[in-house]
Amino acid sequence: MTALAQHVAIERRAAARARSFRSYSPAKIVGYALLVFAAIMTMMPFLWMVSTSFKTDQEIFRFPLSFVPDGFEWQNYRDALNAPDAGRQLINSLIYAGGSTISNLVFCSMAGYALARMQFAGRNIVFALVVGLLMVPAQSQIVPVYLIVQKIPFAGGNDWLGSGGTGLLNTYWGMILPTAATPFGIFMMRQFFTRIPMEYEESARLDGASSFTIFRRVLLPLAKPSLAVLGVLSFQSAWNEFVWPLILTSQRDMATLQLGLQLLQSGPDARWNVVMAMATLITTPVILAYLFAQRHVVDGAVSSGVKG
Amino acid sequence: MAFEQKPKEVSFQQNWSAYAFLAPALVILFMSLLLPAAATLVMSFTDVSFLHPTNWVGFDNYIKLLADEKFGQAVANTIHYTLGVTFPTMALGMLAAVALNRKVPGRIAFRTIFYLPVLTSLIAAAVVWAYLYEPYAGPLNNALAGLGLTPRPWLQDPSLALNSLIVMAIWRDFGTAMIIYLAGLQDIPNDVYEAARLDGAPPHKIFFRITVPMLSSVTFYLLIILIVQTFQVFGAIYVMTQGGPLGSTETVVYQMYQTAFAHTEFGYGAAMSTVLFLTILAFSLIGTRIMKRKDG
Repeated sequence: MTALAQHVAIERRAAARARSFRSYSPAKIVGYALLVFAAIMTMMPFLWMVSTSFKTDQEIFRFPLSFVPDGFEWQNYRDALNAPDAGRQLINSLIYAGGSTISNLVFCSMAGYALARMQFAGRNIVFALVVGLLMVPAQSQIVPVYLIVQKIPFAGGNDWLGSGGTGLLNTYWGMILPTAATPFGIFMMRQFFTRIPMEYEESARLDGASSFTIFRRVLLPLAKPSLAVLGVLSFQSAWNEFVWPLILTSQRDMATLQLGLQLLQSGPDARWNVVMAMATLITTPVILAYLFAQRHVVDGAVSSGVKG
Repeated sequence: MAFEQKPKEVSFQQNWSAYAFLAPALVILFMSLLLPAAATLVMSFTDVSFLHPTNWVGFDNYIKLLADEKFGQAVANTIHYTLGVTFPTMALGMLAAVALNRKVPGRIAFRTIFYLPVLTSLIAAAVVWAYLYEPYAGPLNNALAGLGLTPRPWLQDPSLALNSLIVMAIWRDFGTAMIIYLAGLQDIPNDVYEAARLDGAPPHKIFFRITVPMLSSVTFYLLIILIVQTFQVFGAIYVMTQGGPLGSTETVVYQMYQTAFAHTEFGYGAAMSTVLFLTILAFSLIGTRIMKRKDG
C-alpha cells in the first residue's frame, strides 16, 4: 500500500518536473509569440482608427503612410461633434439604448422569474416557445416588423384598424418596442432564478408576502450580477444596432449615432480623419462599460449560454 | 416524512400571477418575432406593395425566385460567406481559448484584446475596415507597396470583395467563439488531463483526443449561433460595398432589404425572407443530426 502510494507520488513529481521543464520549451515560446502576434493583429484596426483620428488632412494621403500621427489634431473631434445632427443623434442613441435596456431588465427578469419559480398551466409550452424563438433570425423579419410598427392602432394618426397614419415609425416607441424583450434575456434570467434555493422565498411566503413582493424584495437583489450582465448586453446591442433604426426612421432628426456615422462616411465630402474620430467616440463608451462589468459579463455568458 | 417529498409532488398550485409576470414579455415577443414570422409567410403569397392594391398570387413569388439569377447569386454568396466565416472563427476561437485557459502571463489582457472587436459596433468596425481596405490611401495597400508587393483593390475587385468581408467578420467574431470555448473548457474535469499526462500523451494528442471531443457540444452550439448570425449579414455590406462590385457581395438579407425598401416589393421580399428562414432551420436540423450521430 505505502509502496504503491510512494510510487504514485514519485511518478507525479516526475510528471510535474517534466511539465515545468516543458514550460521553457521552444514550442511554448513560439506559442507565446503567436499569441502576442494575434493580439497585435487584433488591435491593428483600433490602433489605425485612433491614429488616423489625430491626423491632418494632408497626413492621410501621404506616402508612405505613417502609423504614428505627427501631432494631435483635436480639430477632427470637434468637426465630428459639429457634424450635422451629431448632438441629436447622441440623444437618440441614449434614449433608444437606455429604453431598450430598462425594458429588457424589467420584462425579462419578470418573465424569467415566472418561468423558473412559479407553477402555472402552460409553463412548459411558454418555455419551449422562448427557446424556439431563440432560433428565429431577427434580421429576416425586417419587412413584417416595419409593417407591424406602421400599423399599430391609434398611433401616429392611425385608426383602430391601424391604417391611415404612420403608426410608430419615426418614434422612440417604434424603435424600442421590437427590442424591449428578447428570448435570450428571458432564457438567461430564467437560468439564473432556477439556481437560487427555494428556501429564500419560502420564508418570505410564510410571512405572507405576495409574489410581486418576493420578486421585488428577495429575488431581484440576489439577481444583481445577472441583471448587470443583461444590462450591459442589452445596452451594447441597442447602442450598436443598425438595421432597426435604419428601416424604422426616415427623418434625419430620428437617426442614431450608428446611422450618423454611416451618413458621415458615405457623404460626398467625407474625411477619413473625422470619420475615424467619430468611430472612436462611438466605440469608447461600450468598451468602457465592458471593462467595468468585465468579470460579470464573462461569467454571465458562461453560465447562461453554455451550461444551460 | 412529508418534508422529504419534492415540492413538485406536494401539490400543483396554479399561480395566476405568473401570467401577469409573463404578459409584457410575451406581448413583445409576439409582436417582434412570432407575428412577423407568420406575417412573412402570409405576405410571401401576395404582391403587397405601397404602389398598388394587394392581390393573392399563390406561389408566383417562389416561382419567380427560382428563376431569379440575382437571387441565386445572393444565395451562393451567402453560403460562401457563411462557410468562410464560421469555420476559421471557430478554429481561431478554440485555439485562443486553449492557449488562454492556462496560466499564461497576461492572459486577462489577451482575453480582453481578443474580445474587443465583439464589443465594437458593426458600423464602426465596417467604417474602420473600409479605411484599412481603401485602395489608394489605405494602410493595407500602403504596407503592401512599402514591401514591394502589388496593392490590390480589396473591395472593388469582384473576386476579392467577399473574401475581404470574410476576413473582417472573422476578426469581429472569433472573440465570441473564444469566450464560449473558455466556458466549455472549464467544464472538462482536470483529472482527465492529469491521467493523460501520466500516461505520457504528447500535447497535440491531448488536444485532439481529449479537448476537441470534450468540447463537441460547445462546438455545436457555436456552429449554430455563428451560422444563424452570419447568414443574416447586412450592416457590413450596406456600409462597405452596397452589394457590389457586380453583385459579388450581394447577400440574401441585403437583397431582401433592397427588394422591400428600395423597390417596395414587400411580397417578393417576404418570399426571400421565408427562404432564408427555412435555410437557417435546415442548417440547424442537419447540425442536430450530425451531433446525435457523433454521440451515438
